[in-house]
Amino acid sequence: MLWPSPPWDRVVYWALDLETGGLDPRTDAILSAGMVPIRAGAVRLGEAFSTLVRPERADRVDPGSVRAHQLVPDDVRGAPGLDEVLARVDERLREGALLVHQAALDVAFLKRAYRRAGRRWPSPPVVDTVALLLAAAKRARLIDPGAPDQEPELNLLAARRRLGLPDYGQHDALTDAIATAELFLVLRRRLAARTLRDLR
Amino acid sequence: MAALDPVAFLRSISPFDALPPAAFDEAARALEITFFASGTRLLTRGGTPSEHLYVIRKGAVRIERDGQTLQVLEEGEMFGFTSLISGKATLDVTVEEDLLAYRLPKARFQALLAHAPFAGHFASGLAERLRNSLERSPVASFQPDLGVPVASLLRGPAVRIGEGATVGEAARLMCERAVGSVIVDSAPPGIVTDRDLRQRVLAAGRGPETRVAEIRTAPLRTVPADTPVYEAWRILLDAGMHHLPVVRGEEIVGVLSATDLLKCTAAGPVAVMKRVERLQGRDALPGYGAKVTEMASALFAGGLEPIVIGGFVARLNDTLVGRILRWAEADLGPPPTPYAWMVFGSEGRMEQTLLTDQDNALVWGDDTPAARAYFGALAERANADLQAAGFPRCPGGYMAVNWKAPLAEWEDRFRGWLDSPTPQALLEASILFDFRAAHGALDLAPLDKVVQRARGARTFLAAMAKSALTFQPPGGLMLRLRGDSSRFDLKLKGISPIVFLARVYGLESGARSSNTLERLAAALRAGLIAKDSCETLSEAYRFLLRLRLREQLRMISEGRPPTNVVSLSDFSSSERSRLRDTFRAIEIWQDRASYHYRTDLF
Repeated sequence: MLWPSPPWDRVVYWALDLETGGLDPRTDAILSAGMVPIRAGAVRLGEAFSTLVRPERADRVDPGSVRAHQLVPDDVRGAPGLDEVLARVDERLREGALLVHQAALDVAFLKRAYRRAGRRWPSPPVVDTVALLLAAAKRARLIDPGAPDQEPELNLLAARRRLGLPDYGQHDALTDAIATAELFLVLRRRLAARTLRDLR
Repeated sequence: MAALDPVAFLRSISPFDALPPAAFDEAARALEITFFASGTRLLTRGGTPSEHLYVIRKGAVRIERDGQTLQVLEEGEMFGFTSLISGKATLDVTVEEDLLAYRLPKARFQALLAHAPFAGHFASGLAERLRNSLERSPVASFQPDLGVPVASLLRGPAVRIGEGATVGEAARLMCERAVGSVIVDSAPPGIVTDRDLRQRVLAAGRGPETRVAEIRTAPLRTVPADTPVYEAWRILLDAGMHHLPVVRGEEIVGVLSATDLLKCTAAGPVAVMKRVERLQGRDALPGYGAKVTEMASALFAGGLEPIVIGGFVARLNDTLVGRILRWAEADLGPPPTPYAWMVFGSEGRMEQTLLTDQDNALVWGDDTPAARAYFGALAERANADLQAAGFPRCPGGYMAVNWKAPLAEWEDRFRGWLDSPTPQALLEASILFDFRAAHGALDLAPLDKVVQRARGARTFLAAMAKSALTFQPPGGLMLRLRGDSSRFDLKLKGISPIVFLARVYGLESGARSSNTLERLAAALRAGLIAKDSCETLSEAYRFLLRLRLREQLRMISEGRPPTNVVSLSDFSSSERSRLRDTFRAIEIWQDRASYHYRTDLF
């Protein structure tokens, strides 16, 4: 039996984005994190949190990734270490749901970081805007089966454009977290989701 | 616009661009982002006031009052401040297109008002936002020219689909091209709108496989590309449609939507005008005054100057008078000799925005007993009908029932005033020399010619100037925010001094028009006043008319009869200082006029 799921706008969502040294959660470094909450359906920029992260010696930074996030070792040398950053991420994750664009990647990075820091993963409900984009496309096909399959845009910038959202700068963890939060608000409406369960 | 994150976007727009960095940063920290789908009602007049100042990032909202759209606001524009300033929701706000908005909580907005440039931005129209709802957006996108062809509003060529297509295909095409309708290439051509998809497909239980041919509307109601905007506006209103195909010859060049029209014009004089033209009988007269007030307030809210609104009102009133006189002619039979209906006072000068007392007179050609009887009856009817339409009778009795005569008699009267400027003559000349023919076939050139003689009548001009100088603006020290002197008569102390003196200068320079601004311009051309005086006084006059109209509309919205008495405390600090400058400019002009007309010699 299903237990009742809370109305979507009663849940606090922390949108999160990580800039990493590559795409492999097992080896690559977390270089920065950005988070912003959605409370009562509104993105609260004032509570935004963002930080650079000082990588451990063993962490890999793929030179190719620098082109995207523009972070060079010097930038992150004086930044807080992963443990310290995780403590701050953790208090936020315990407040509600985790909202990410492409959960598979960022959640894997986070989980590994938690493990290495000896922390227990708080298992927040995860809402993934990529999954919501796929759901929205599926829903559109249901409503109009005659439509030729149009691949949904899954890239954050392209998906936002298609939905009429403005272009923001890319590859800054906080800006991407904000962009993800906005995308979520639009998709929530598209899907006519009423409860948290409708969004997972 | 380049990629701007929310904070950078906010910083880029006025008045946030004028804030000191620390104050802006504090505001930015309180910023929230919200999304509302099209159709969402955000604020309701008389309902819960807004708790936030909203800045539109994407999409649009519609500002309405009593079902009348005042404005469509778009990217970079703000709403919600009326609520924040007055504590009341005075307008309806509905999302027109999916809205991504940044918003600032009330407390933060109020803290920012401590910064003068920021507060000044909202204070530029503070009083009308206070309590009464006449929103005046800082980036008003009002396009006052209602005569431009509809083709200029088209956003692109018509989106078309074949007759054999399904409604699903049509819906996708509309989504892709972001339009609300598609033209169906059939014979004759048809149209499918988003409303059809809702009503004739979804609500009718049809599926996406339905062919567009089954649900299209054909033949089309179209308009030629050179149709003026106001005509298109009326057609949409009358037909209850939202999409109007525009044709050039046989070819459909685009589709005009109601939204396109809304963006280009607030509720227009056009609808009122058409109403007047279609008035069937006297029963329809009551309510005319209220309609004009409504229109004036919509146009004012849309950013139009009272001077321009006065032009619209004059045209409407002329149309109304024409209508009324034709009814009288129908009752009395054709006029025995040509006549003209003259209007004067603010209506003669085309400066009337809200209906005021009647100021009119009647002049006819041949003097016969039959004509006197006929025009006596005509005047009775017309004055009564005007009263029914909302023009109160003139307390001074300057109405056609009292002021009616054959042309020759009028000429004598005008000449008499010029030749012996007694106080009574000056009073009557000051009223009647502002005349304008509002209706009728009689040529009033002979009267114009007499008035032209005024430029050489030095004694008359001097006497008139002297009487104009008896209107005095309040001295600088008199205008205090607190105490008895905070209330004053804006007409008596500010508007009349300009109107009366401009009349003298206008007569001396031989101006054809009785419009105050045109009289000032004529005086400049004739070398009677300097360029900077002309500019300062014109600007001062516009400012006073704007203040008065705003205050009067507010009185009306509060259910009070509009008067000219205003209170300084209703004005913002910048308005108060402009008002002082205005009075000072009038005093300087009066000093020069006194010298120019040698009024000290009388």
